[in-house]
Amino acid sequence: MRHTVCVTYYMTNGTQGGPEILENLKLELRRGCLIVAVLAQLRTEQYGYTLRKALADDGLAIDEGTLYPLLRRLETQGLLVSQWREEDKRNKRFYHLSPAGDLILKQLLEEWESINTSLNKILQEA
Amino acid sequence: MSKSTSRNPMDLLDRYLQAVRFWLPKPQQQDIIAELSEDLHSQVEEQEAELGRPLNETEMEVILKQRGRPLLVANRYLPQRSLIGPVLFPIYCFVLKIVAFFYLVPWVLVWIGMMLFSSSYRAEHTAAGWFGAIASAWGALWFVTFFALGTVTIVFVVLEQVQAKSRFLEDWNPRKLPPARNPNQIPRAGSVIEVVVNLMFGLWWIDTMSSLVVLNRPEIRIVLSPVWRYFFWAFLLLAVINAVLAGVNLARPYWTALRASIRLATDGAASGLFCWMMKASVLAQISGAHISTARALEITNAINLGAAKVFPVVLAVGIVIALADVYRVFRARKTVPAPLKREVSAAAV
Repeated sequence: MRHTVCVTYYMTNGTQGGPEILENLKLELRRGCLIVAVLAQLRTEQYGYTLRKALADDGLAIDEGTLYPLLRRLETQGLLVSQWREEDKRNKRFYHLSPAGDLILKQLLEEWESINTSLNKILQEA
Repeated sequence: MSKSTSRNPMDLLDRYLQAVRFWLPKPQQQDIIAELSEDLHSQVEEQEAELGRPLNETEMEVILKQRGRPLLVANRYLPQRSLIGPVLFPIYCFVLKIVAFFYLVPWVLVWIGMMLFSSSYRAEHTAAGWFGAIASAWGALWFVTFFALGTVTIVFVVLEQVQAKSRFLEDWNPRKLPPARNPNQIPRAGSVIEVVVNLMFGLWWIDTMSSLVVLNRPEIRIVLSPVWRYFFWAFLLLAVINAVLAGVNLARPYWTALRASIRLATDGAASGLFCWMMKASVLAQISGAHISTARALEITNAINLGAAKVFPVVLAVGIVIALADVYRVFRARKTVPAPLKREVSAAAV
């Protein structure tokens, strides 16, 4: 019965689930994951460009317009520390995880595991 | 070689960085631009290494276009700001709708009514022709709209500032929420009152209004025209139908499409009858011991004329009632009646 109600609701109110909706949902899903990925990558020191490349190589491409403001925010929150240093004759800003960031990353990974377990359980039940 | 590839491509990059810098807050300009510049140079270097030659202006243009419009790039570094935040925005929209419905729509209706039924107002405003009158009203409506919506917006901007500081909207109590209601529910008290009023009206109507001579005293005598018989029977019939309908509503206190349609029909008929009555010169004669025939005729005509002048108001009220009734019919058709809803929920469980 509940299934019928859901189908009826979808047929009367739903759309065909266009690519725009999927893109928006994927963006929402990725948003939180990206923060974890950035924090995890910065367990080893990197500057913006190499961080972006590393994330892209691991399958989590992030555009610079999102990455740099995110880095600044995480730094303001005390999760990252940065330092300007010269490398290859150019000044680059190197980021790495702060002790507070390290702790938060551990907690976020635990949360991630918990969500993953719950989701798997729900998917197995369905 | 095209004109676009003849310039120094790094010039484009500098111009881009300058444009982004313009929109950034001063204390962070230097830092953000240095980092953005470094990132762009890294990307350019990598692409040049792949191609084995310096980038031309077109290739640089592609890179910069991928980065996005300078204002948008800068905007991502700025804190999220809004005149009216997400907490107040739904309330703001709700108030705007109320203002539009209860202030702007009546404004337009009053203007239309005045133009149609007030000859002096019409003469005053159509001096420059109908087109001029409509243009003038359109201008006035825009002014009124901007004033009303602007005032509401300013009030909400101030509220947003207060809310941001005091967080007064976060202090709430579930006990103070309005009771849950079914819009199709009919209060039983209302039905009881309707039954009583309609029955009392019917008895009074039969007792007092069945004859064409509605008042017959030595000092005054009021006689209605023969057309009154139609009104008498029609209003009596409507009172009976309404009493029966209220009785059914008392037993089954929720609107169904059928009963809502009957209410629409009776209200429509009553409105139509009232409109007709205003125009029908129902009053035939007034006479009295102390009133001269000429004076009595004058009073009779004045009352009939006065009733005819009230016609637009009666019509407007009738339309409003009919619209509300039509809305009720649609609502009853769309919504599952409360008892049926309970059955559906029980079946779902």
